[in-house]
Amino acid sequence: MIQITDLKKSFRTEEVETLALNGVNLKVEEGEFVAIMGPSGCGKSTLLNIIGMLDNPTEGSYNFAGHEVGGLKESQRTQLRKGNLGFVFQSFNLIDELTVFENVELPLIYLKMNKAERKEKVMKVLERMKIAHREKHFPQQLSGGQQQRVAIARAVVTNPKLILADEPTGNLDSKNGIEVMNLLTELNQEGTTIVMVTHSDRDSHYAHRVINLFDGQIVTESQNKPMKAMV
Amino acid sequence: MFRNYIKIAFRSLWKNKGYSALNIFGLAIGITCASLILLWVEDEVNYDSVFPKQDLVYIVPTNQTFEGEVYTFYSTPGPLAKDLKDEIPEVTKSSTTWGGEILLSDGENGINRYGRYVSPDFLDIFSLNFLEGELKGALARPDGIILTQETAAALFGSDKKVLSRVIKVNDEYSFTVTGVVEDLPNNVTFGFNWLLPFERFQLGEEDMSWTEEYGNNFADTFVEIAPNSNFKEVDNKVRAIIASKMDSDNGIPNEAFLHSIKDWHLRSDFRGGKKVGGQITFVRLVAFIALIILLIACINFMNLSTARSGKRANEVGVRKVLGSSKKLLVSQFMMEALIMAGISALLSIVLLLVLLPLFNTLVEKQIELRLLEPVHIFSLLSITLVSGLLAGWYPALYLSSFRPGQVLKGNGKNQGSATIIRKGLVVTQFAASIVFIISSIIIYQQIQHVRARDVGYKKENLVNVSVSGNMVDKFYPIKEDLMASGAVENVALTNSYMLSSGNNGSGLSWQGGVNTEDVLVRFRYVSPSFFNTVGLDMVEGHGFNEDRAVDSTNVIITQSFADLMGDKSALGKTIMRNDINYNVIGVVKDYLYGDMYGNGKTGPVMFYNNYDGANAMYINIRPESSRTEALAMIEEILKEYNPAFPFEYRFENDMFNSRFRNEELIGELSKIFSLLAIIISCMGLLGLAAFTAEQRRKEIGVRKVLGSSITGIVGLLSKDFMRLVFMAIVIAIPIAWFFMQNWLESYAYRISINAWAFVIAGAIAIIIALLTICFQAINAARVNPVKSLRSE
Repeated sequence: MIQITDLKKSFRTEEVETLALNGVNLKVEEGEFVAIMGPSGCGKSTLLNIIGMLDNPTEGSYNFAGHEVGGLKESQRTQLRKGNLGFVFQSFNLIDELTVFENVELPLIYLKMNKAERKEKVMKVLERMKIAHREKHFPQQLSGGQQQRVAIARAVVTNPKLILADEPTGNLDSKNGIEVMNLLTELNQEGTTIVMVTHSDRDSHYAHRVINLFDGQIVTESQNKPMKAMV
Repeated sequence: MFRNYIKIAFRSLWKNKGYSALNIFGLAIGITCASLILLWVEDEVNYDSVFPKQDLVYIVPTNQTFEGEVYTFYSTPGPLAKDLKDEIPEVTKSSTTWGGEILLSDGENGINRYGRYVSPDFLDIFSLNFLEGELKGALARPDGIILTQETAAALFGSDKKVLSRVIKVNDEYSFTVTGVVEDLPNNVTFGFNWLLPFERFQLGEEDMSWTEEYGNNFADTFVEIAPNSNFKEVDNKVRAIIASKMDSDNGIPNEAFLHSIKDWHLRSDFRGGKKVGGQITFVRLVAFIALIILLIACINFMNLSTARSGKRANEVGVRKVLGSSKKLLVSQFMMEALIMAGISALLSIVLLLVLLPLFNTLVEKQIELRLLEPVHIFSLLSITLVSGLLAGWYPALYLSSFRPGQVLKGNGKNQGSATIIRKGLVVTQFAASIVFIISSIIIYQQIQHVRARDVGYKKENLVNVSVSGNMVDKFYPIKEDLMASGAVENVALTNSYMLSSGNNGSGLSWQGGVNTEDVLVRFRYVSPSFFNTVGLDMVEGHGFNEDRAVDSTNVIITQSFADLMGDKSALGKTIMRNDINYNVIGVVKDYLYGDMYGNGKTGPVMFYNNYDGANAMYINIRPESSRTEALAMIEEILKEYNPAFPFEYRFENDMFNSRFRNEELIGELSKIFSLLAIIISCMGLLGLAAFTAEQRRKEIGVRKVLGSSITGIVGLLSKDFMRLVFMAIVIAIPIAWFFMQNWLESYAYRISINAWAFVIAGAIAIIIALLTICFQAINAARVNPVKSLRSE
């Protein structure tokens, strides 16, 4: 599904040029659950942004489901991203002015789905995330764990092929964290590919494969025995 | 999608009530201001548009040459109207007119009203709408009078049928009402309350033969030309007509020409016989200023919206991640701006309804907001749309360009270019405000300067009453009674108000002068008490004799006239006018009349000892007596001699001050504009200061931990903004200087621009800006650093 070859990304600020990714090669198969780990500043988030098509690589090739993404313009990336990718962030990134329902509905609106269909899909995913009773609430009225469940609901409502999670449990306590990881595992078991950046050893154990990044390069790769969802 | 936008727009407005209020209120002020001005402009531009034939109707002014200079007057010879119609086929109708105030009375009920003596064509030229009687023949009988609806109501009360009723004019002459016409709106160049046949303009049976001569310019002439006629051709024929009627050896002949009544109000300044604009310049200036205010309000909006971008960045990121294109985001933010503009427009309608009466008082108009009228609703919508788009485009483009990869990680704060643009916007706003403040100060100084001008006579306690009834015949008894009352110093009669240029003529000759025929001389016919009453000092010689026969060939002249008669004393020299030699017996100081802004070189004036044709009685009240008591006394005495006439008086000082109405209007408007501009700008500054304080929370926290005092922090935050304000001052000064110098140059009597105006305006701007910023800065500086440092 994802084929990354010799990927480089550099940032330039006035005088200094920083090489955030320096020749990354990565292949992710459909249905995989991959965790990316590494110390602060190693390029994890940059890599995830490129995989998520939020950013372009400076050099190298990135092939997503048969499409070369590397040189695409922003509007083209947006088109490719729509419906194919779901995002889960550490800080949830819900829109404060929208209710739970409306937040989850948003990607469907951008897909120009009709209203009845949207309602059905949103309610189904909210029920699945056990947050349907809160559909009319605003994000600030929810706990962190609830907010992240809404964020996951929003990420999966379009049935994406790939979910990108950037430290999804970073702002949560351990109980809520485990709950979120269980949800992701369930989704993965149903066939969704997941790429997750994490600092947490516990979380990395949910993944099939752990990639360690250091100074913009992959230093080690290890296979995990897939864990069953914890209850 | 739209619903989603609208929903989010309203929620985000509500969530940030403070910002929204600043934004909406600022924009509402801008829209209100622009709307008021546009209503005013509409009224100005539609002057005289009530006359359906305004494309065909022309007033006929004349160009007259004195000492090589061409001056343009509306006064024309009496027979001109008739000759234009008789001799130029394209001229289908013409009317001679003459305006004046008369007393109309129905029994005990008397009212003074201004109106016009006109020829019958007048009714048709201006398509007057008859409510009673009919246009045809309304002015056929010499004792017929046409009243406006309002005048008829004032005279006869609510009585609907007033046709054929007989009223008294000036308590002496009977006239029969032959028609009642619809009132004209306020924005006509000349209004009237009654119309009388032109041949009755002396009312009585006096010898009118002088009105049949081409040598006397006194009447206003109107013509209507046939549709589809060639203007240039007709105008050329009109220009030739006076020359064909007069002897050519009398110097350069006067030249009549066509002046469209569409230009009458806005483009009636003439210099050297050419149209050089007029009120239109003022209208354009005011419209331009309104635009600037609207622009300042829009800038405010942009500024506050982009300043809040930190808060919106996250949303932009999320939306992009979820599949929104940049285009969609731009339209979302534009939509928000338009919604804000819409709310502002609604608010400004309320403001308009509240402020319109005050505005009407200020500009002396009766403007109405007619929202149901397409023009008004369309204009308001356009202003709203334009300001929404103008205010929204920059924030929309700026916000929608955020890169989700950066903002969602919380490092979307490097807004380098936006900060520069935002600072630029603040500088622009403040510069515009400071230009307004400087202008207000200079306009105020100029008006004060002219008001304090020495007019050459003592106007402080001078009251004038227009002559009516038998005030001329009974002058001496009235004068004695008034002076015996103890409240009055002196009383005089004159044929001309002190301030007006009045009666004039040329073709005189005098001893010691060259080319004297070309000089325009003003004539004043006064009672001997005139000079003492108005306080015009005698330079040499003596005043008039109480026995007017003694002075039948004696005149008194002003200093500038004496100067034209050579270096030596003018006393005893002769002046010849209309083949009569007059002997100069006195010389008085020059005094100011006509243009109050002139260079002070008032033309020569010649006084006769003769008050038969007096128009005004001047009464000098003793400075020590109470004005109210004195006026009551004067009223009582005048009523005794003149019972039918209502007592109406004016203080000379008030008349003098009313000469500056246009300037005062500019002054008032510029004061209001500066106030609004500075308020809106400060709202922007307040928002920006709040934003900066928020953005620098961490820095402030660190500084406090390292030992900075609150004052130190306030200074730190204020410094940046003060730099902007100083920059604005530097930009504003040359602009204001340029505009004001230009404005002042239209006045011969003017101040020179003083550095103080700039210093004061700068100080005002700095103080107001400091107060605005300090409030925010102190708040920010007092935050416990523990809080701000934990926030990342």
